[in-house]
Amino acid sequence: MTPKLLPSLIAVIDIGTHKTVSLVGQMINGKARMLGFSERRTDGVVKGTVIDLERLHRCVHEVVNDVERSSGRSIEQVYLSLSGPAAEGERIKGIHAIPAHDGKVTAKDVTDAIASAKRLEPPAGRATLLYMRQPTTIDGRAVANPVGMAGKRLEVHFWRVTMEEGNMRMRVGMVNGMSIKVRDFILASHAAACATASDSDKQGVLVVDMGAGTTDWILYYKEHILCAGSIPVGGEHMTNDLSVALRISRETAEDLKIRFGSALHREADANQTIWKDGDRGLGDQQFNRGTITQVLSLRYQETFEYVKKDIMQHLEQLFPGHAVKLDQYFLPAGIILTGGSANLADAAEAVHAIMQLPTRIGVPTFENDSLRKPEYAGVVGLMTAAITDSPPPVRRQRGFLASLKDLFRF
Amino acid sequence: MERPPSILLVGLGGAGCSIVARLAARLPPEIGVALIDTDTRSFQQLPGATVVQIGRAQTRGMGTGGEAALGSASAEADEAALRRIFTGVPIVVMVAGLGGGTGSGAAAVVAGYAAEVGATVLTFATMPFSHEGERRQRQANEATGVLGLKCHGLVVVHNDLLLQQVATDAPLSESFAAADAWVGGALRALAGAFIPGALVAADPAALRSILANPGSPTLFAFGVGTGEGAAMKAARAASECPLAHGPSSVTKVASLFVHVTGGPTLTTTAAFEAVAAVRTRFGGETSTIVCARVNPDLGDRIEVSVLGASLPAPKSPAKAKKGAKAGDPSQPMFEFATEEAMRRGLFGGTPMTFIDGQDIDVPTYIRKAVRLPASP
Repeated sequence: MTPKLLPSLIAVIDIGTHKTVSLVGQMINGKARMLGFSERRTDGVVKGTVIDLERLHRCVHEVVNDVERSSGRSIEQVYLSLSGPAAEGERIKGIHAIPAHDGKVTAKDVTDAIASAKRLEPPAGRATLLYMRQPTTIDGRAVANPVGMAGKRLEVHFWRVTMEEGNMRMRVGMVNGMSIKVRDFILASHAAACATASDSDKQGVLVVDMGAGTTDWILYYKEHILCAGSIPVGGEHMTNDLSVALRISRETAEDLKIRFGSALHREADANQTIWKDGDRGLGDQQFNRGTITQVLSLRYQETFEYVKKDIMQHLEQLFPGHAVKLDQYFLPAGIILTGGSANLADAAEAVHAIMQLPTRIGVPTFENDSLRKPEYAGVVGLMTAAITDSPPPVRRQRGFLASLKDLFRF
Repeated sequence: MERPPSILLVGLGGAGCSIVARLAARLPPEIGVALIDTDTRSFQQLPGATVVQIGRAQTRGMGTGGEAALGSASAEADEAALRRIFTGVPIVVMVAGLGGGTGSGAAAVVAGYAAEVGATVLTFATMPFSHEGERRQRQANEATGVLGLKCHGLVVVHNDLLLQQVATDAPLSESFAAADAWVGGALRALAGAFIPGALVAADPAALRSILANPGSPTLFAFGVGTGEGAAMKAARAASECPLAHGPSSVTKVASLFVHVTGGPTLTTTAAFEAVAAVRTRFGGETSTIVCARVNPDLGDRIEVSVLGASLPAPKSPAKAKKGAKAGDPSQPMFEFATEEAMRRGLFGGTPMTFIDGQDIDVPTYIRKAVRLPASP
């Protein structure tokens, strides 16, 4: 595959449940340099689902305006992130019997196998967004490049991400409305992984991106995406739990979560009394820290139990009959936590206790100090993924998306 | 006919009858016991008790098979017999297991008759375990809505909460014993206030003044402490009582009824310290009625039980005009709806998100019924 010539200016927008972040950068001497950055509180999105398009539109518009002003460049095309329950992945394969008398695979055999895989229609009402190439096998043996190798049966595997058609039209339409083209969608969890996991990590690693509305996970094995999924629970749920338990406002709950929250509940917390404002003035309230950590840790741990269950279900589908275990032989690099909720105290310890795998907080590698936080892994990763664009090979049904874009382009 | 008892403990339905039958042996003799059920087998558990078999024509002595409508029809058919056992009794404490047919259907009807003949009715209703299925849950929820309007006080006991009090590997009998211990302790403590011999006594009218308003949320908590600082330990245990931490429990009430029972070592200071601690937790600004009693059997144990209720929010005249009659079935439904919104908080009004049949927008600690440490 020949590397594509990328426009030197790259803009990405990550629309999350809590915040919308945009980053504009440029490739200079093979390194990404940040030109503009903007961040705003997202409006009109609840639990990862758009509920008020007009408010979201206004918010995205403001972010784009900000980033154009700070970079001094006008944006023509962007990469959008894709997360939550809107995106759904499945593994598909194309099978091709190798016809030549000497049984050698030709480039055409590979193309035929790919074509046969892509002929599989997505479920009704869903559109294919992207195909991620997974290891190709010859007679069940995984090979890096099958061309020229001998065998009888060639199989190509893809991880296909589909999205609700209406939802995609809405997002593309919204960005088109600002006279900006959508160049591509990138899976948010994949983006988070690109920013935090090295290639050697990707020999076996689980990246969990816990945002405000959803918790997205992605599993890499031998440098390829094995599977990915999403649980509709996020940091917002922890804030909500706290506001219900203590009967306090959302803002207070958010503040207490950040200051006193923890993903682990310790017996000693119950003896600790904390003050809401700390000035002990009028309207200040006392809370038991144990209540806060108990509420948050229960939710946090439950979410990761759901993640674990989801992964096991996916693995069962991928390798029916094989009891694949989530252990260090399978995932030597362990777990990387990203997203805003990775900031919760003791997050890594709690996840380690549930998953029994070494866990670390993923901090994106980027020249700017201000973006070296787990909550920016998504947007920095979008940038990284947009620059590299291909590995792991991303092949989209260009025709379909292009025609869709044309549809919304005046 | 002998003089009616000052307190009548009534078991209704299969679950209610078994709880009462198990408790009856350890109750003071001043408390009368009656069993009401459609199924005659329930009565064999406690020979000699006053029994009323309802719905003989409807069910022919078998159960209701989980049909709530059949339960209420059965109770209505035997109105005269039911009214007779309540006549002259100042306080009726009813125990009913909701979810099944007789408990869910007949509870409101029976409570209604008791209230109409002049008794103050306090009902302990146990809610089914959540894994007993949606139908029983729904039937129980509907029943609490109607029941709350009929009796003066309604204490909802969530079986899920009680289950959490015992170790996970405890045998089944132990879980049920734990549930009995809570309800039984509560009843004994409550009854102790009205039978002769209390140091600081209360009369049935006092209870009535607390539970004056049918349909208002009722709070009940019970705690035991032993040894050094037993009174404060008991008060603290009452503050953290699982009965007061249910999904729908109220946390602060206007009127309180506090009963302290202790061994011969119980001091006045200790008793009132406990009352003060309970008041800071539960309120009781409008009125607090205190009862104290010495029971030599208790040794260094001190038991604190708390009963309280808030006045319901005054209805605006405009709303009353629209014909919100008492007993209007839309009223409890409305309360239920707001409770649902309370549970989902900021997500109230958004579509529910289900994983494994649970609405995961509801906080984990509520779904798992985990008791939270008390606020300072």
